[in-house]
Amino acid sequence: MVEKNVLEITDFNVDFWVDGVWYPAVIDMNLGLAAGKVTAIVGESGSGKSTTALGLMSLLASNARMQGSVVVKGEEMLNAKSSRLREFRGKEVAYIFQEPMTALNPLFTIGYQIVETLRNHFEMGPKEAHARALELITMVDIPNPEQSILKYPHQLSGGQRQRAMIAQALACDPALLVADEPTTALDVTVQAEILDLMRGLKDKLNSAILLITHDMGVVADMADEILVMKDGITVEKGTADQIFNKPQHPYTQQLLGSVPKLGSSKKRELPYKESAKPAPVLKLTDVTIEYPKRGRQPAFTAVKNFSLEIYPGEIVGLVGESGSGKTTVGRASIGLLPVKAGSIEIVGKEIAGADSKQLSAIRRHTGIVFQDPASSLNPRLPIGESIGEPLFLAGLAKGAELAHKVEELLDQVELPRSYRNRYPHELSGGQRQRVGIARALALTPDLLIADEPTSALDVSVQARFLELLQELQGKLNFACLFISHDLAVVDILSHRIAVMQNGLLVEVGDRDQILKNPQNDYTKRLISAVPVPDPKEQKIRREARLALKK
Amino acid sequence: MLNYILRRIGVSIMILFGSSFLVYNLAAYASDPLAELRLSTDDGARQQIIALTRDLQLDVPPPIRYFLWLKGVLGLFVGNLNLGMTREASSVQEELAYAIPVTIRLVLVATITALLLGLALGIISALRQYSRFDYGMTFLAFLLYSLPIFWVAVLLKEFMAIQFNNFLSEPNIPIKWMFIFSIFTGIFWSSLFGGERKRFWSVFAGAFATNFVILWAIDLTNWYLNPGLGPILIAFLSIGIAFGVTAISTGLSNSTAKKAALTMAGLAVVWYYPAQWIFNNFGSYLTILIMISLIVLTGIGLSRVFSKIDHGPIARTAIITGLMSGILILVDRIMQSWAEYSATDAVNGRPVPTYGQRKDQLVTTDFWINNLDIIMHLILPTLALILISLAGWIRYSRGALLEVLNQDYIRTARAKGLNERVVITRHAFRNMMLPLSSLFVGEFVGLVGGAVITERVFGWQGMGTLGIKAINSYDLNLLMGVNLLLSILVISGNLIADLVYSALDPRIRLGK
Amino acid sequence: MKLFGRKEKATGEILAGGENAIANKEVEGLSQGQIVRRRFFRHRAAVIALVALSSIILFVLTSLDTKIGPIRIPGWWKWTVEDIPELRFEDCPGGTTGCPTLSLNPTGDFGMGNHPFGQDDIGRDYFALVMNGARRSLMIMFVIGAVSGFIGVVVGSISGFYGKRVDAVLMRLVDFIQTVPTIIIAAVIGKAAGRVGPFFLALFLGILGWTGLARLVRAQFLSLREMEFVDAARVAGASNIRIAFKHILPNAVGQIIVSVTLIMAGAILTETALSYLGFGVVAPDVSLGLLISQYESSFTTRPWLFWWPGFFIISIALCVNFIGDGLRDAFDPRQRRRITKKDRLQAKLQIKAGE
Repeated sequence: MVEKNVLEITDFNVDFWVDGVWYPAVIDMNLGLAAGKVTAIVGESGSGKSTTALGLMSLLASNARMQGSVVVKGEEMLNAKSSRLREFRGKEVAYIFQEPMTALNPLFTIGYQIVETLRNHFEMGPKEAHARALELITMVDIPNPEQSILKYPHQLSGGQRQRAMIAQALACDPALLVADEPTTALDVTVQAEILDLMRGLKDKLNSAILLITHDMGVVADMADEILVMKDGITVEKGTADQIFNKPQHPYTQQLLGSVPKLGSSKKRELPYKESAKPAPVLKLTDVTIEYPKRGRQPAFTAVKNFSLEIYPGEIVGLVGESGSGKTTVGRASIGLLPVKAGSIEIVGKEIAGADSKQLSAIRRHTGIVFQDPASSLNPRLPIGESIGEPLFLAGLAKGAELAHKVEELLDQVELPRSYRNRYPHELSGGQRQRVGIARALALTPDLLIADEPTSALDVSVQARFLELLQELQGKLNFACLFISHDLAVVDILSHRIAVMQNGLLVEVGDRDQILKNPQNDYTKRLISAVPVPDPKEQKIRREARLALKK
Repeated sequence: MLNYILRRIGVSIMILFGSSFLVYNLAAYASDPLAELRLSTDDGARQQIIALTRDLQLDVPPPIRYFLWLKGVLGLFVGNLNLGMTREASSVQEELAYAIPVTIRLVLVATITALLLGLALGIISALRQYSRFDYGMTFLAFLLYSLPIFWVAVLLKEFMAIQFNNFLSEPNIPIKWMFIFSIFTGIFWSSLFGGERKRFWSVFAGAFATNFVILWAIDLTNWYLNPGLGPILIAFLSIGIAFGVTAISTGLSNSTAKKAALTMAGLAVVWYYPAQWIFNNFGSYLTILIMISLIVLTGIGLSRVFSKIDHGPIARTAIITGLMSGILILVDRIMQSWAEYSATDAVNGRPVPTYGQRKDQLVTTDFWINNLDIIMHLILPTLALILISLAGWIRYSRGALLEVLNQDYIRTARAKGLNERVVITRHAFRNMMLPLSSLFVGEFVGLVGGAVITERVFGWQGMGTLGIKAINSYDLNLLMGVNLLLSILVISGNLIADLVYSALDPRIRLGK
Repeated sequence: MKLFGRKEKATGEILAGGENAIANKEVEGLSQGQIVRRRFFRHRAAVIALVALSSIILFVLTSLDTKIGPIRIPGWWKWTVEDIPELRFEDCPGGTTGCPTLSLNPTGDFGMGNHPFGQDDIGRDYFALVMNGARRSLMIMFVIGAVSGFIGVVVGSISGFYGKRVDAVLMRLVDFIQTVPTIIIAAVIGKAAGRVGPFFLALFLGILGWTGLARLVRAQFLSLREMEFVDAARVAGASNIRIAFKHILPNAVGQIIVSVTLIMAGAILTETALSYLGFGVVAPDVSLGLLISQYESSFTTRPWLFWWPGFFIISIALCVNFIGDGLRDAFDPRQRRRITKKDRLQAKLQIKAGE
């Protein structure tokens, strides 16, 4: 080796002490990282990748035990004196965390927080530090640096906050940047910009980056070397090319196989003829939805003049970034939000302005799957009761018959029948979402609304979930409005795609037309920002996107 | 913001009208001020009934009488406040004007001390979560939560006043008590600073020995008969304070701050003798005020002299050191009056009072003796109130800090390489004060309720005593006067808490 | 509606390995109630407090006669409040009378004796008086807890569930009641309650004491209302009442129970304080606060008259507080197993053993 590595991890182990037993979280990890290079640690939740990141600089809780060796710039970090560790933290090893809203102190301006880092590590006067902070803020492209430096985190957008976080991390020109899911909380277009920024700064400052992520697209975009983790064990390690093109370990193969890839699914026929459309299951005409004024917050129009029709047997993907109003459309379509103007018809019945009795009659034709598996099931009810509730309330089944129906539904979503007596906290996220589907399908609806059902799931779980959903749709032939921020997922499922931005429908059309030949500028930007889990192709896409930007 | 405040005040006034109306009628219907007189067959009683009915307008039905009362209250806005007459035909305003400062003195000192002490204990408890100290504090908090204040007050009166006075007439600390007291001190400090077994015992031994020696010295020199700190002890303590304040304020690694603080401590010691002369000849609040401003100015001056760039933290460290050393000198001066005070006829060798807020018989113009008298009367009731409200602050601040320490931005602060002192004092402390600021009012109001009982036990002539008197004698106007003041206290307290909250939190201050 | 029988023991696999396993290990195969119970019983102080409080209640309830309408259940204690036995003179310190006969000396005259807590100035058995006072205080405590709890939950739920105008009106009502100084209004009523008896005093204190709970329940409802499972129930066709009682309330019940316990601990202190001031329970009725107030001046000569009622007030309040703390820990969803010093020490020993 010619150049000495910035980071050298050997036989690194982390265990947590819980209830009298050591639980291993990271097992025998080895890793070397040179200046100017990016190594990505990839894995699903619970694989120990974040634990590794925090363990490097002993930032874990007091019940963690670390063994092995972590050498940064030739100095051992495990068991180093805490004063020495503090000198390295922030100066040699800087962190970028996932959620910039909570990772920045809400009571201090971003300028202050950057100045604080600087003055902690350098002999520097307040004026000098302020000037340097301004320089950093300019470097990470936050608009109006002079004003922004005086702003509090809550006054910035998500992307700007993450830029401020990066500015803070880069303040002392660290040799190693640890980025723990730096773009997970951000929209794809913002993510693309942040990744561009990080790539540019890395080249400029010659820092090494340890990237922790679950997103294979981000990995393909950034990483030189990749380390795949599962349950604390490093299952495979290699260059980006090796991992993506010649994966050896079955888990890596399975992981790559589960990642949905934009533009790779087969051509799909609409379930009806364009010329002879059947009556739509869901018909939204010029719908406007407003969140009323709350206290000092003014009224906010979330969706404006939105029109969309969904026909029997088709899946329509509704795509947009956060705040685009896609979830609002979904909730209004099932009568959970009042409509300010326009009309919503389900199987020909108007729900805008329907009274509660009519509404519950109409709702028998619908089902909804929610986003968050943690809150979508009542923690105090057994699964069976949650699933059976629509049947029970509709008066369709009772007692033994109901129990039987619930078992059938569990069979449908491929969960063991014994699960009907379990409580939600005993199930994994993927299992809970299956329960969510079972509940939504209890009344064999004509329309299923799926509101980001996979956004909280790991890719492999997501893949199984999507398969199941497709299977069920094929079998039961319901229409589905699938809401998602992830174009690749929508690509797998849907017949047609609708794109929303800032409460407006910007484009709607056949899936292939939208993905391959988008007309609207925003759609084009959105599609080009999605990272593809293939380093070569992603490089081409990135250059194309940068060209488009210029 | 101004708009918001005005609206809040408007709503508050409406609530005030409503609540006073409710209380007025409730009290008027629940009690009959003439009941006792009616039972009497005496002719004078009949005369009195007629007189009272006329003076207090008892022939007017309460809901209407309320508006007569309200008219007097609203007179405030035209400079003519009239809260009516008591049964003894004295003015309610005058009674209140006498009682308010008494109660405020009691409650304010107790609130501030309890707040500072509770915050400190709660923070330490949270930082040493699940340690012996933490468990001890948790238990102490629960115990204090469960103590009836009147019971505590009676105990204090018995042991801290009566028995202590007895002890002073024949001062001699038995060895047994020295042991017991020293063991408790030892346990306290070792659970605070102790860790592993060896360290625990060495801290224990150190604290035990120090405490024992101090007690012994006090006993030998009969210190409690003629107490004082003296320049040497003040010098030692001031240097200790300089180090302690620097450690918390800027960290001991900041040598500039350390120099400034030590210089300030040195100046305080040098200042000791001139201060004595000034205190003896010009003892007054103005003198103390002037000295405080001198300390502040010196602190700012020192920060300019010692540091080129960072004035703020240096000045802060020096000023706090100076103020604390100044308090020592002040305490020393007040202690010097002890013997003289103790020997006065009014005190007669029993310096810890059990009754009243001042010794009426004490006739002296000496500033220090008068203040010593005030302090001696204040100690026990304040202690009772502190014990009661301490528990809340320990629990709240512990909980709030633990909550904050789990936040992501604390992890960020650590990942930036900040040391624990900065993480806690800068990042955690301000965030933890947010939820506490809204609790302050509730605690303060609770304390006013406690003050009612404390006043009764210790015979203070404050608002509480007035309220009790009003209820016992069915004196509606007096009751309404007390009620009005308490309501205004609650409402303005809530308003202030909201303002403090928004001042602390930019998310509220600047809008979301 | 319990659709299916008791849950069977979980047989399925735990989520494999890693951090999830750590989080799930604790709760594997348990229902919510079982988890809460298990966590509560891990809180040693709370368990001790529960045992102690149950014993106190049992002791207090059985020692004296209980009258329920015409039925009279005799207690096991020989004296009643009305009895005026002869004053004991022998063996009392400093020439006092009626000193306690309770002895914990195992070799001597161990036992309660004739008057374990002593006698008051006219010779009434102080044990009977204290038991009677404790009974009053406990009754008042539970009534206040029940009344405040009921009103607080109802107002808080309605306010949080319906929001908007209903919420605004109810919250102004809460503001309003909080502005009325409790101690004054309670004293006014208490003074009048001397005529109507302790039960109505308790009722009234309960009517004043619910505001904090109402705010808490409201906040719980507001946050639970936004949960997706509530929307799911609504889509499934559940009525408002069903959503409130079946889906929201059970999830808020933990916080409610904790809060009510704390109200109760505060209630016993409020009652005794009022009685002490003479505005609560008044003679000839007996209450712990009243006993302390009556014998305050004889503290120096006959301290037992002061200690015993105080001991019972503190014990009851302390137990209730600790039970509340245990419940809070048990219901707190963020609660994880505490890593105590002992755990850390064990961990260290293991490391050493492994080397």
